[in-house]
Amino acid sequence: MRRRGAATMWRVALLATAVGCGDLRRASVTDTARAIAPAAAMMDTLANATREPGALATVLAAPVQHWSGPGARPFEVTLRTADPTTALSRRFGMITLRTSLRTRAPDLNQYPCTSCHLGNTILADRRAAGAHENIRPVHPAQTGAVCSTCHAPGNVDLLALRSGERETLDHTYRLCAQCHFSQAESWAGGAHGKRLDGWQGRRVLMGCADCHDPHKPALEPRIPFRAPQLERAGGRSP
Amino acid sequence: MTIERPAPPPGPNETDDGSVMQKRMDRRRALGVLFGGMAAGAQAVSACAPISAMSDEEREVKLLAWREYIKGNYQFMTEAERAETIARLERLAQVKRGLDVTIQSTGAQPGVVFGYAFNISKCKGFRSCIEACINENNLDRRAATQYIRIFEMADGVIDLDHADATFQHEVPAEGHFYMGTQCFQCADPPCVKVCPVGATWQEPDGITVIDYDWCIGCRYCMAACPYWARRFNWSEPEVPAALVNPNQHYLGNRQRKMGAVEKCHFCIHRTRQGRLPACAEACPTGARVFGNLLDPNSEIRWVLANKRVFRLKEDLKTEPRFWYYTD
Repeated sequence: MRRRGAATMWRVALLATAVGCGDLRRASVTDTARAIAPAAAMMDTLANATREPGALATVLAAPVQHWSGPGARPFEVTLRTADPTTALSRRFGMITLRTSLRTRAPDLNQYPCTSCHLGNTILADRRAAGAHENIRPVHPAQTGAVCSTCHAPGNVDLLALRSGERETLDHTYRLCAQCHFSQAESWAGGAHGKRLDGWQGRRVLMGCADCHDPHKPALEPRIPFRAPQLERAGGRSP
Repeated sequence: MTIERPAPPPGPNETDDGSVMQKRMDRRRALGVLFGGMAAGAQAVSACAPISAMSDEEREVKLLAWREYIKGNYQFMTEAERAETIARLERLAQVKRGLDVTIQSTGAQPGVVFGYAFNISKCKGFRSCIEACINENNLDRRAATQYIRIFEMADGVIDLDHADATFQHEVPAEGHFYMGTQCFQCADPPCVKVCPVGATWQEPDGITVIDYDWCIGCRYCMAACPYWARRFNWSEPEVPAALVNPNQHYLGNRQRKMGAVEKCHFCIHRTRQGRLPACAEACPTGARVFGNLLDPNSEIRWVLANKRVFRLKEDLKTEPRFWYYTD
């Protein structure tokens, strides 16, 4: 494919945490480290969760590192196709722009999940009828997925990747990219999704779930904006 | 086109009020000195009844308006002259409308040429960009001026002749796609070539701008533009005071006047400070990509290198800096 040939040209911004190598065997070695890492990442997410949701001014940097200086090898982000054992890994370029990821946790009104879910069970005293009635499981119905396809069964605050890794809710791109790799590629390059905070300097990347409801990803149709017009005074028509 | 640079501003030894006839100066400057001096003198001498009957504020407005009337083309102003006219415009906005506006004269950044990319696979026709543009750029609410148009077309072919830019139904409509147009900031802009007075020109960062006060309203540029990107103010533009965006640029979204042409300027007051244009920031689908064409790491360069792109009416060789792409 044309794009794979151009892989080395993807010097575009990429995100954060990064597995760091295109080699799957090495990736599995880092899995152990990552299994411990979420605790620290969680703390950041929870700290951010106290901020006011919504406005651009409250967009926070997710726990990311920045590439410092020339010569140092920047991170690579590896996003995999659906089957980690056979599929080719795709490298989406090196970080040469300073980027950070929009933090999701402040926007979630039922976060943290562990306030009700404890492991595989639900805390009985907080059980509420219709607790998740806002969720329309369109995407699971289309793909045959169940809750545990994406949510880590042991800790529902985390996402479960096919490789067995765990990821925080901020880094949805790693989960989604397991199937939607062409979108992930465009997103990594800057052609899909949104980047905020200007064209110069730091970019804030919007993650997949900032625009797409993970359970019902298609955008809702709506009535388009129509400019209101001031009343015309008198008979003078321009 | 060449434009003669007006005579330099008066030096430290030349004052506005004295010995006009002995100085060599162009007609515009001479008129300015003569009448400006008369108006200023009237304050002290009260020689002229109508002027002396005015309040101080009215007299100040008259004087400011007169100085504005005889000022030069922004391209050829010195930094000091630019600062003066901006101070006058800000004061006029305050006196006339009670608005505290800030007008920038920020120049182009070196090593920057702006480019824009528009994803026709992603645009859903929500027109959020138009809403943001109207609010950001103080567009005439009465005439409902819009810089951006979003065309709805049936799938399969790009046919702007049979496109609908006035759709009102729920979007996206089945079997249709959406394509937005605005000023494409051509690298070889026909609108600049035809301007008889040099009121519109291309800045070093690729933005074609208009000096609204130098424009004579002949509308040659509107005839020359193959993209219908320019808008004419048939009446005095009206923006309710509460809706005025006070962050303005002399070449951008400041108050326009009746009889002047205006158009999209890639939000010059934002983009020269590193921010995104309002339309790109407002787009809910991420269909708009903006960046520096000279930066090989920019998003726009990635789109140009990795996506299938085209430009509108490319055969006209206007070299628009606005590309359309598909997923």
